[in-house]
Amino acid sequence: MPGLGAALPAAALLLLLSSFPPAAAEQPLWPFAPGVMHALNPSDRQASKAAWVALHYANFKAASPSLLRFIQGVGMKYYLHFTTDDYINGENAGSCLATVLYLKRSPPEVNIKCADIQDKKQIQEQDNRFYQYLQHRTKPIIANDIPDSHGNIAHAHLPLWGLAVAGGSFIMLKKSTENLGYFLAQVKAVKQQIRKNNAVELEFMILLHETPTQKIYPCYMHLIWILDHPLTLKYICTSVNHWLEDGSGQDYGSAAGMFHEKEGNF
Amino acid sequence: MHSGPKAYQHLVNMKVLLVFTALLVGTFSEQLFVGDQVLRAVASDEEQIALLRALGEQVDLQIDFWRDPTKPGRPADLRVPFSRLQAVKVFLESHGISYSIMIEDVQHLLDEEKRTMMLSRRMERSANKFNFASYHTLEEIYDWMDTLVADHPNLVSKIQIGESYEKRPLYVLKFSTGGSNRPAVWLDTGIHSREWVTQATGVWTANKLAEDYGHDPTVTSLLDTVDIFFEIVTNPDGYAFTHSSNRLWRKTRSINAASSCIGVDPNRNWDAGFGDTGSSSNPCSETYHGPYAHSESEVKSIVDFIQSHGNVKGLVSIHSYSQMLMFPYGYKRTPAPDHEELNELAKKAVNDLTAVYGTEYTYGSIADTIYLAAGTTVDWAYENGVKYSYTFELRDTGRYGFLLPSSQIIPTATETWPALLDILVHIQQHPY
Repeated sequence: MPGLGAALPAAALLLLLSSFPPAAAEQPLWPFAPGVMHALNPSDRQASKAAWVALHYANFKAASPSLLRFIQGVGMKYYLHFTTDDYINGENAGSCLATVLYLKRSPPEVNIKCADIQDKKQIQEQDNRFYQYLQHRTKPIIANDIPDSHGNIAHAHLPLWGLAVAGGSFIMLKKSTENLGYFLAQVKAVKQQIRKNNAVELEFMILLHETPTQKIYPCYMHLIWILDHPLTLKYICTSVNHWLEDGSGQDYGSAAGMFHEKEGNF
Repeated sequence: MHSGPKAYQHLVNMKVLLVFTALLVGTFSEQLFVGDQVLRAVASDEEQIALLRALGEQVDLQIDFWRDPTKPGRPADLRVPFSRLQAVKVFLESHGISYSIMIEDVQHLLDEEKRTMMLSRRMERSANKFNFASYHTLEEIYDWMDTLVADHPNLVSKIQIGESYEKRPLYVLKFSTGGSNRPAVWLDTGIHSREWVTQATGVWTANKLAEDYGHDPTVTSLLDTVDIFFEIVTNPDGYAFTHSSNRLWRKTRSINAASSCIGVDPNRNWDAGFGDTGSSSNPCSETYHGPYAHSESEVKSIVDFIQSHGNVKGLVSIHSYSQMLMFPYGYKRTPAPDHEELNELAKKAVNDLTAVYGTEYTYGSIADTIYLAAGTTVDWAYENGVKYSYTFELRDTGRYGFLLPSSQIIPTATETWPALLDILVHIQQHPY
């Protein structure tokens, strides 16, 4: 695949529609290495007919009156190969292979495998250091506007930004569709809740930038980080225009009473 | 977002500057505010609000409200002349209106402001000593324009093509070495106010054009043949708003009838596919196209200028972010008649951009490359006789997005320069 491994914009997604050299010495990239491909419209009747054929096969093979499936929706699957840079320090972070399945009524389904070129030990040490720092605080850490208007991030705030991106990525994943994309525009506020036990608890107010609508969504995010565990988070996003309209600023604490739904465990 | 005390300080600074400007414009009288104080009064009920208002109406007291009394519990700030202080304080105390002294001596504050302003002005007296590696306020950019003109009087002049909704001047820098209505290229940055790297790139690029003329053969030949009109802050109301209130404001600041939402997307307001898919009819939307094409004075001024000029041969409208170079159409997927040529030029420009620091760009028509967008600058220009119409989306691709670190301003401008030059030179060499 060297020809297709040409450098791509960091984290940009590209649809690959090409023939793959059949005699590739390397492993097949994806579970089902495609031959010549062309995109099929998911609402095309042929797509759901073929999907039913596949299910007839699976339903019979299962040989069980209890293990049966029917079609909920046909989605659009993208096969991807892209290069990446480290979010925090901008250095090359290797390439990734991924598939993304967009469905109409559920969040996208992702399979991804990235090259392992980052220094695992250094990353673990960094996480550990930051974790201990937050754990041992008696005064809760509070910060606003990361990055600030000039795009600057204080060195001490870099890991906070990182946590916001990590948690925010869950929200963005859930909201993404084939037509709507998201970026984390800014962390408006972050406040730590001091905990006695072995966990770090943070409340965030983040701003998501939605394309192509260009909307800015404020989201309240409650995050629990336990080292070497999946993140636990609850969030609620609003599209309150006036929150940003008159510049009077809403104390993000007042949003705390709002969160209830959407729990997430990676 | 401003918390209470910070917003007040900003308000005070604004008011102080206004007062100071009034002083400059008027006669040379220095000691007008010695001993004057600014009192902060907080009314506890409607009756006290009425009393404060009545106090302001007493002409002989000469009270100047820096913040008007509005609701109980909300502070009102009054500047009281020294000679009236006693009377006003007695009035407040006798009616049980609580107050505090916010500024003990207004003149002292003015002197401080004046000193710091003169200091920074001395430092930035020369246009190329301007700090290109940082983001600037509207006032700073407008001031810098004047110094650029002063430093290059035979090349650069400043013209005003209209006014924004909030009555700010719309300034365009004209680069011309003479002739009579030479073929011209229009450049604009900052039409979407939150895209700060574009205004900053505009400043750097304008300076680059001025500096290179007479030294770089390509730029010299270019400006000996072609005029350039460069609007750096195309949406000044929005830009001011991103500094004062909401860093992520995109649209103009025009008031919409029958809606509490403000602003029109100036890049959906042009008369090309106006109102089609790729724009919104909802005033609260970030892509609201406006009540009708060219409803926004920021847009109409450019339309009028280009049409009355009559010899504009190229247009480049600069946005961020996404790292793309695009050409018409945005409002339909049909390829433009000049697609081949525009595409080839875009490819060359992007290659030369990437060659600088390795920054990857994609290119193509707007509809193919980014999404359907109706009523855009570039489509209007193309359909009104401007064959070479391009739009850039500068750095980055989403990591910092609109909040691009100021350390990336100069690299962004530096890499964009050869791409821009490719387009300008092509226009120069392909008259039509």
